[in-house]
Amino acid sequence: MKKLPNKDLRRKIVDMVVTGGDGHIPSAFSIIDIVTLLYKKILKFDAKNPGWLDRDYFILSKGHGCLALYVNLHRHGFITDDDIAMFCKNGGILGEHPDRTKVPGAEASTGSLGHGLGFGVGIALGLKIQNLNNKVFVLVGDGECQEGTVWESANVACNRKLGNLCVIVDWNQSGMQLMPYDDMPKKWEAFGWNVYIVDGHSEGEILEVLNKINFSSNGIPTVIVANTIKGKGVPILEGHGIWHHRIPNPQEYLQIMEVLR
Amino acid sequence: MASPNSESSRVSTNNGSTSMNKSTRQQFADTMFVLGQLDKNIVVLVGDIGHGMLRPYAEACSDRYYNIGILEPTMLTIGAGLAASGLCPVMHTITPFMIERGFEQLKLDFCYHQLPGNIVTVGSAFDYSNLGCTHHCYGDFALLKTLPGTEICFPASAIEFDQLFRQSYKNNKLTVYRIAGYSHGYEFKNKDIVFGKGICVKEGKDVTIIATGPQLQTALEASDKISNNGISAEIIYIHTISPLDLAIIRTSIEKTKKVIVVEEHMRSGGLGDDVLRAVYDVPGLKFHSVSIPDKFVTCYGTYEQLLDFCGITSASIVEICELWF
Repeated sequence: MKKLPNKDLRRKIVDMVVTGGDGHIPSAFSIIDIVTLLYKKILKFDAKNPGWLDRDYFILSKGHGCLALYVNLHRHGFITDDDIAMFCKNGGILGEHPDRTKVPGAEASTGSLGHGLGFGVGIALGLKIQNLNNKVFVLVGDGECQEGTVWESANVACNRKLGNLCVIVDWNQSGMQLMPYDDMPKKWEAFGWNVYIVDGHSEGEILEVLNKINFSSNGIPTVIVANTIKGKGVPILEGHGIWHHRIPNPQEYLQIMEVLR
Repeated sequence: MASPNSESSRVSTNNGSTSMNKSTRQQFADTMFVLGQLDKNIVVLVGDIGHGMLRPYAEACSDRYYNIGILEPTMLTIGAGLAASGLCPVMHTITPFMIERGFEQLKLDFCYHQLPGNIVTVGSAFDYSNLGCTHHCYGDFALLKTLPGTEICFPASAIEFDQLFRQSYKNNKLTVYRIAGYSHGYEFKNKDIVFGKGICVKEGKDVTIIATGPQLQTALEASDKISNNGISAEIIYIHTISPLDLAIIRTSIEKTKKVIVVEEHMRSGGLGDDVLRAVYDVPGLKFHSVSIPDKFVTCYGTYEQLLDFCGITSASIVEICELWF
């Protein structure tokens, strides 16, 4: 059995939810390995200057997974210990969805599904117009892909040859609860995108694919369909049950932390 | 409801053959052509409309013009993304598809994000009179006023659009330009048009008539008619709905104590509501709104016939004055 990566960040997410009294743990665990890899190995950024013009853009379109973003912004120095401690507290900057006007490093205020990709398409188009080489990454949920605006945006990105854009789909089968026919790769292929399928909890697989993308500003956009498990890493959290938006009680907290030791 | 009162002198600004020789919408295209070459940040997105008129801009600024597709909400989100990348988006298509269908995109992608942009809509109120409710939009002021910081203007002549756009397009806010399909026919000079400032078109002492958009013409006609009965009307023209020039409104109404607001917007949430809120405490105030009733306008016919159906006529204003004096 593979060793679970990012146990420390998973523990921090659980602590934030318990301290803040709110949050979506399984949604964050579903994407934590992807987001962590992006910040560790792929994205160009300057935490001391979040608006640095040469940065790459990461847009978390499924905003309810924001804890995965917050712990990475904290790890890399965008936000402080105090910010983390004030998660969901009056006077803090971190809520249950990211707010770009408050959170250094958050490129988009998301939460209403179906906005992040169009916003990323606009940024990618803007960079192309300005002959800039920054890369744009947008992480969307598979349930979010039921929103029509996702496909409006996908259509534009292909037709405008936004090769500087990479979408990652958190394919944790949430969408299939409502619509069981859900051939995610085929949908993106039909919209003319380069499609890769990876294990979304394997740093090696994700990195290998990311290194294949040439990010040409006049090429075909790329989608990485990441097979993920909602709540990945802690058996009681995994799947699509009551844990979507639940706070662990003291006994459950100990049980979760034992698994994440 | 007032009796039908055909106003055949109304001038369409859609075909360019106006008394002022240019439609407001043609001026939009011309202003883009001029400013687009001066300001390399301007990017125009259209939703499969206006591309013929915008051809000169598109040819001069080919890398900053996109007939982006028939996907209005996403056009707005893309515009917000362009703004986030440092560019100045100008988005253009039919009003209801931008303001009503795209309302959440305006709210979240521009306003919540605090990103600037310019929305140029065509088909105000029921300019597309025969196309039915799908193409009508007469609640846009009300909707947009719920988005903090959003600017709204209603240019009803070419010079107004040109001046208002130049003065506001890069002021770091979301600005909506509701292009009127018909003009009021009144000739303003460049210096008359100041974003956020109302214009006293005619001084008077007995009643204030506040008009926006093409309805300035109705106000002028009514003023002529009631003057025969010895009633002197002061006419205030409002091209900027938000921020509204409360000072010019209050000063006039404190003098006349009587105000009639005439506009092509639903009664609820229109200019009339803002005027009433600004002067509710004026002693002895009399107020009337000549506007679109709070219901769907489902009849067909010309723009003028729909105005008649709604009672937006000079005859309505005359009737009110006859009751008041």
